[in-house]
Amino acid sequence: MWDKIQELEAKRSALALGGGEKRIQKHKAQGKLTARERINHLLDAESFIETDVFVKHRCHDLGMAETEAPGEGVVTGYGTIDGRLVYVASQDFTVLGGSLGEAHAAKICKVMDLAVRNGAPMICINDSGGARIQEGVDALNGYGNIFYRNTLASGVIPQISVIMGPCAGGAVYSPALTDFVFMTASTSQMFITGPQVIKAVTGEDVTMENLGGASVHNTISGVAHFLAQTDEECLAQVRRLVSFIPGNNLDPAPSILTEEQQVMPSEALLNIIPVEPNRGYDTREVIANVVDDGDFMEVQPFYAENMVVGFARLNGSPVGIVANQPKVTAGSLDINASDKAARFVRFCDCFSIPLVTFVDTPGYLPGVGQEYGGVIRHGAKLLYAYSEATVPKVTVIVRKAYGGAYLAMCSRSLGADVVLAYPTAEIAVMGPDGAANILFKDDIAAAENPHKFRQQKIREYREKFANPYVAAGRGMVDDVIDPRHTRRALINALSMSATKRESRPAKKHGNIPL
Amino acid sequence: MPKKFRIVVNGEAYEVEVEEVGVKSAGIAAPVAAVAPVAPVAPVAPVAKVAPPVVAPKPQAAPAKAGAVVCPMPGTILDVKVRVGDTVKTAQPVVILEAMKMENEIVAVADGTVREIRVTKGAAVNAGDVLVVIG
Repeated sequence: MWDKIQELEAKRSALALGGGEKRIQKHKAQGKLTARERINHLLDAESFIETDVFVKHRCHDLGMAETEAPGEGVVTGYGTIDGRLVYVASQDFTVLGGSLGEAHAAKICKVMDLAVRNGAPMICINDSGGARIQEGVDALNGYGNIFYRNTLASGVIPQISVIMGPCAGGAVYSPALTDFVFMTASTSQMFITGPQVIKAVTGEDVTMENLGGASVHNTISGVAHFLAQTDEECLAQVRRLVSFIPGNNLDPAPSILTEEQQVMPSEALLNIIPVEPNRGYDTREVIANVVDDGDFMEVQPFYAENMVVGFARLNGSPVGIVANQPKVTAGSLDINASDKAARFVRFCDCFSIPLVTFVDTPGYLPGVGQEYGGVIRHGAKLLYAYSEATVPKVTVIVRKAYGGAYLAMCSRSLGADVVLAYPTAEIAVMGPDGAANILFKDDIAAAENPHKFRQQKIREYREKFANPYVAAGRGMVDDVIDPRHTRRALINALSMSATKRESRPAKKHGNIPL
Repeated sequence: MPKKFRIVVNGEAYEVEVEEVGVKSAGIAAPVAAVAPVAPVAPVAPVAKVAPPVVAPKPQAAPAKAGAVVCPMPGTILDVKVRVGDTVKTAQPVVILEAMKMENEIVAVADGTVREIRVTKGAAVNAGDVLVVIG
């Protein structure tokens, strides 16, 4: 018996080394952690339980019969983050470049199935050269199996992708199908076709980093949601994100109420928002002064910065926050901002996370580029996502709320449960300048002093309509509040709507304008 | 423009037109110019009919051209906050742009010195215009 156990231990420790010391050293020289170290950083200490450690490939072609691939190039299993169950797959670049073959994919699929069955988040750490070419269509089929599971699991369990090395070709579509993508600076890349192919086909010269590096996907393409400088920082970010989200679509998000939360009025809010409607400010300062401990985890902080989205807690319970950012392009809505916010709203709705919306937007950004780019169908996503969402929806109108953009930012008409407005709010069909130009076009032209007449009409319009009281008079705004009491008002609104049940006609699924 | 050359071979003078073919572009093999070896039998070398040089598409600029402060939306310049030669820090406002009912602070994208200011107070600008260059 003792021999057998020794044999087992020997096998296990050999497999734990992955591609061997030499490759591990080379891997670490790039500043990367190994597949197992990454799991240890991600999970609570000693909590990882590995699955399928002895799995082997069945390929005999192209010299694969003699090729050993310890662990098949991916470490899979489960463990805990802050004591809560999560499933993990971590690709091992030291084993055949982390290439994905039939058995590699089967290991990932097994934990994905477990994650769905047991209702816990699935976290996949990507560091792979791509398909294992020797395995041909079996490798391809492996990717297909993963994509299919990603799709079926979408909206059932949170899925998180962590890119810590190459992720190219078809492999990118698994992360793309998941809810959140993390990338590490300078060590991760994602692209469909690499620099060499691009050079050959279009003649464009581009480096791997400039084509699909972490900064590209966090600022330009919007593919990634989080950026970290190191593996350690990245995995700490993943842990933080997991703390805000539930294990599945039936469980509530984890409430953390360590001590009695303060609901003191915040004097700072009076100074953050300028009285002049044409002055910008940082909406993140408003958020920080409202949420628990000022703790706000921003999602996609470098992409479409005119819209701020992210997670925070109010009275211990997680909420999703969506806010216009007046500091960037005046907080106007555009294609990217609509896409970003709509996807975030849908995530929150999938996983029962209430939505809090701060509105201060002058409208949609005008421009030929926007119209040609399809701002109509992209903008429609935000309307769709908010209307579709059945989680508690609370809206705070901070300042400008004009026209279609007012509607899109979770207005009463889109089903907001509670709509609050600051006394600085301006809720109207359009801004005073534009309205005066249209309404009094002929009068202005005929006036003795057109400029003076126009200014007078603008003033009249502003006094009459650019305030929260017209909307409040029609019940589209439930209350006009003192900004200092925002926190208390939001906590009240959310606790009132916590038991919200909204049933809709049964359907297969809606048809969001994609 | 084809260039004309006078070539003397074995005491006989020939007038030859030579056209320079565009820069060889990657991916598409430039047609080999059929410049016949100048031979006495060919009084005028045939000028190869060559397709116009294919200009390689501009490579996608690296994320945000370093130092160029680009206008994010159409509007009017209300104020220029810096002068050429000023030292600026990232996120420091350099231009105030009136657009979308707001006075928007357009900020420096990098630490450095202001090399160039391409707009003046009151100028109408479009999205994508370079306002200030920081080097």
